[in-house]
This record gives sequence, C-alpha cells and structure tokens, in this order.
Amino acid sequence: MLSIRNLNKRYGRFQAVSDLNLDVPEGEIFGFVGPNGAGKTTTMKIICGLLRATSGEITLDGVDIIQNSRRMKEKIGYMPDFFGVYDDLKVSEYLEFYASIYNIKGQERKRITDDLLELVDLGSKREAYVDSLSRGMKQRLCLARSLVHNPRLLVLDEPASGMDPRARFEMKEILKNLKGMGKTIIISSHILPELAELCTSIGIIDQGRMVISGSNEEIMQQVYNKKVVRLKVRDRLDDAVLILKEYPFVDKLVIGENTIQAGFGGGDGEMSRVLSNLINRGIPVVSFAQMDGNLEDVFMKVTKGDDEQ
Amino acid sequence: MNINPVLLKELKVRMRGWKAAGIIALYLLVLTVVAVFIIYTTFMDPYSSNIDPQVSIGAYTALAVFQFMLIMFIVPALTAGAISGEREKQTLDLVLCTRLKPISIITGKLFASTSQTLLLIIASFPLFSMVFLFGGISIKEVMQLFGFYIVTAVTIGCIGIFFSAHLKRTTASTVFTYGTLAFLAFGTIFIGVFYIRIFYNWDYNKFLPILYSNPLTGFGSLLAEQFGYYGGINAFLGLSAGSGQNPNAANAISPWLGNIIFDIVLSAVLLILSAARINPVRKSIFSYIRFRGRKKKKASDSI
Repeated sequence: MLSIRNLNKRYGRFQAVSDLNLDVPEGEIFGFVGPNGAGKTTTMKIICGLLRATSGEITLDGVDIIQNSRRMKEKIGYMPDFFGVYDDLKVSEYLEFYASIYNIKGQERKRITDDLLELVDLGSKREAYVDSLSRGMKQRLCLARSLVHNPRLLVLDEPASGMDPRARFEMKEILKNLKGMGKTIIISSHILPELAELCTSIGIIDQGRMVISGSNEEIMQQVYNKKVVRLKVRDRLDDAVLILKEYPFVDKLVIGENTIQAGFGGGDGEMSRVLSNLINRGIPVVSFAQMDGNLEDVFMKVTKGDDEQ
Repeated sequence: MNINPVLLKELKVRMRGWKAAGIIALYLLVLTVVAVFIIYTTFMDPYSSNIDPQVSIGAYTALAVFQFMLIMFIVPALTAGAISGEREKQTLDLVLCTRLKPISIITGKLFASTSQTLLLIIASFPLFSMVFLFGGISIKEVMQLFGFYIVTAVTIGCIGIFFSAHLKRTTASTVFTYGTLAFLAFGTIFIGVFYIRIFYNWDYNKFLPILYSNPLTGFGSLLAEQFGYYGGINAFLGLSAGSGQNPNAANAISPWLGNIIFDIVLSAVLLILSAARINPVRKSIFSYIRFRGRKKKKASDSI
C-alpha cells in the first residue's frame, strides 16, 4: 500500500527527516510515535503533498506520490494536528464544501454528508454553525472532512490532542469503527497506551530517524530481546524477586510497588513452571501475565539513546 | 457546469442574511443622492433654461469618479487578506491537501473577494442610465467605463492576492497592496516628470510609456476621450495639439486602452506567481538551476 524509501527533508542546515524507510500494508493501522520535533508531522505532510521532500521516494499502490501529487490526493485523507475551520459555515455546509471539491454532487453529496455526520456522531449538529462546536466536536468534524472523498489512506496527525478524556474516548471509538471498515490509517499521537491498543503496528521516530518499527510484539522483542511478563504480588515482593533471579532466562527486572516487570526468554512451558514455583514457595501471586506491550517504556528506552552518549 | 467550489462557498457566506442586500441598497442610495444633487443644482442654474447635455456629463463624471475611488480604496482591503487570512486561520492546508489546483484556489479567492465590489458596480448600472435622459453620453461609453472598472478592480484584486499569498500577515499584505497602488497612481507620475526634466529634448507629442501602468491616467484619459476633451490631462499626456487631437497621438494607443492591456498582463503574471507561491510541492527556481548545472556537469564529465 504505502511505501517510503530513503525519505529526507532538510530545512537549511536542519535535517528534519533522515533516510526514513517505512512500509504500511493495506488495512493496517500504523502508529507513528516520537517526541516533539522528531519529524512526524513533516513526514505526514510530505505524504499528503503539503511539503516537498528533499530526496526520497513515496509510493502509494506503486504510484509515486511526489510526482503524481494531485492524483494521489484523491486517495489520501489528512487531518492536521492544528487546524482552523470556516466558522461562518454550518456543519453540513462545511462538509458539502469539501465534497464539492471532489466533484461529488446533488443527492450523493447529501448522502455522504449525512453518513459522515452519523459516523462522527454529529448528526444532531447538522444545522449548527461550526463556530459553535466544542473542540472535540471540531476534531470529529475535521475527521469527517478527511473522509469525504472515501480515501484509501487516512493520515491523522495527533487526532486526539487537546481533548478531554470523554472526547478522547469518543475519538478512539470512531477510529475503531474506521479500523472495522478496513481503512489504512497512519496515526500519530503522544498518548502511547492508546496507540498500542489501537494500532496493528508502530514506528518510533526520533531526531528524524525511524528508530524502530513493527508490530507491538516485534517491537517489544526487538527492544528487550524477549517477551515481557508482569507479576503482581500481595506481599513478599523481595522473595519473589529472588525466585525470579534463579532462572537464567529471566532478566531486566523492573521492580515497582508490589509489581515486577521482567524480560522473559522462555516459552509458555517455562512461564507455567515459574508461576508454579512461585505459588509452591508461598508467594501470594495476584497476577502473572505476558504484557501486551508498554509502549511508553519502549518509547523512553529507544528515544533516550543520544542523551546518554 | 462546474463552478469553482472556493468561489461558491465564499459567495454563499457573503450573500447570507440581510447584510449584502443592505450594503447594495445603501451604496445605491448614496450614488442616487450624488446624481440627484448634481442634476438638481444644474437645473437650478438661473442662466440655463433648457435641457443641456452638460447636466448628464456632470452627473456622469461625478458618478464615475465616485465609483472609481470606491474600487481603488475598497478592493485592496477585501483582497489583501484572502490567502494570508486562510493561513492565519489555519484553513489553507485543509484546502491544499485536496485535489484542488493552486490556481483554482487563487482564482476562487480573487473572484470571491472582488465579487462584492463587482456586484456594487453592476448594480449601479441602471443609475448611470439616468444620464441618457439628458443626452451627451451613449451606452457604448458607459459600457467602456464599466469594462474599465471591472479590469481595474480585478487587477487591484490580483495585486492584493499576490501580496496575500507571499506574505504571512494580512496587515503586511494590506500595507504592500496600498503601497503598490499608490506607486502606480502617483509614483509613476513622479518618475514621468523626473524623466521629462532630465531629458529636456523629450518629444511632448509622445506618451510616456510608464504612464500606461497608471490607473488614474487611464481613467482620466477615458473620460476625457469620451467627452472629446483634449485639454488638461490629455495635454499633459501629449494627446492634444492646440485645441484638437494630436495627429501623432491619434495613431498611438489610447492611455486607457494601454492601461487595460497592462492590467491584463499584470493580472495574469500575478495570478501565476501567486498560484506557484501557495503550491506546497513547487520546485524552486534555484533547485531547477542546480539540477541543470548538475546535468551539464555530468554531460561534460562523460565527454
């Protein structure tokens, strides 16, 4: 679907994106993670034809996006991190304006507008002026706008930024719906646990370079070289630590309040053996499970490299 | 027929409610008062007892000048924020990421911004026809004047759009637009006078080419030519010789016609430059030169 090869973007002497490579297959939800100024927005803008790359190649279904910018824009929907709205338009008129740009006319335009407003739960605000909407509603309207031409690829730059928890939950539900509809989505966010839950794969970018990318599990494996298990005990935490240290395939212990997080080199058999041993030796285990991935830890680990050097 | 979506959206917003109709009504009322006042005072002239074409010429001139001033002052204010305003409101990227061509965005914004002024001009047409009652002015001449208005309004609009596309802030864009207009209206005259003062052997029967860019000169010469008046501005422009038309100037292009041609060329150039400026993936001229340079170097290396 989307393929990025050796992408570079330079502003004068500042290298915003450096030799970035990325593949996003069809139907994938790709989470783009990185600290502020890492190059996420720059990359997304280049994909959407809003910035010119210094060098490199981006193809969508094998067609060069940079050379065929206008044609490719019909296949891409973009939602920027910061945006304004035409406050003197009604909600339905706002969507109809963008639909008219894609030559969608008459009844079809009305149908699409109604469907999208339904999707983003703004059906009741159809006749309201855009100006009167809350920030969360405006974000949802902007998402609907990016879907108006039924794009194959959705590029969402921090779609939940600045939202309250309720609005963020609603946005997440909409994105799950889109995932169900089979849309290919690239999404950036600083709310990492949310991305871990939503995305099928993740890429971490730092100082313009893709540090690591792959599925959640692959990333955890790459970072820790093994899976991560999390153990919670009622008490006797120190005894539990000593027992775990007896096993050579258990390392990188992170000890919290009644919790232990550890790298685990063994398979399912070893996991059950360790758990049995802990229980047999009287450790009051509350939970013992493989982690889906604490992306925040991974993120902190892979993006701190340069500071430590 | 596909109407430019940007233009359609802007017109919908601008024409909503009573405001647009109210502005037209008020504007026509003011024009009517001006016209009636001039006609009334001429009729009240104790030395004139019959219908005189001078009445229509007076009213026509007053209306024409009033309307021309409106264009000169209002259009820059309406157009100078067309693109920079979108940038300030952070709505430009949302349009640029669609399939719409940059030139469509620019023309849509231009015609949307000038539409209100053009509507006022067109709405005033029946008022101008009042002067036909008294003779002296033909439909052809009124049409010429309206054609001149429209070209001038669009050109000033293009200047506003150009600065709006190139400058980030609307305030800066507005200042530069009015500044450029002031240069075209007065600066060119100063340059012309300097030029004549330096070259004492200047042939006064010729028209200074720089004044073709001057909207005031164009407008003045149009009215003067319509009235068959070869003194005043036309004498300064070298169009008159004594009391009649200068035979050399008669063969030359009229200043107002030259001004229209200049305006059309300038508008086209400014529109293209504005569209290129807002195109986010445009190639800069410098990268093109570098690319050509590398190509030449490669070719010479291979030899």
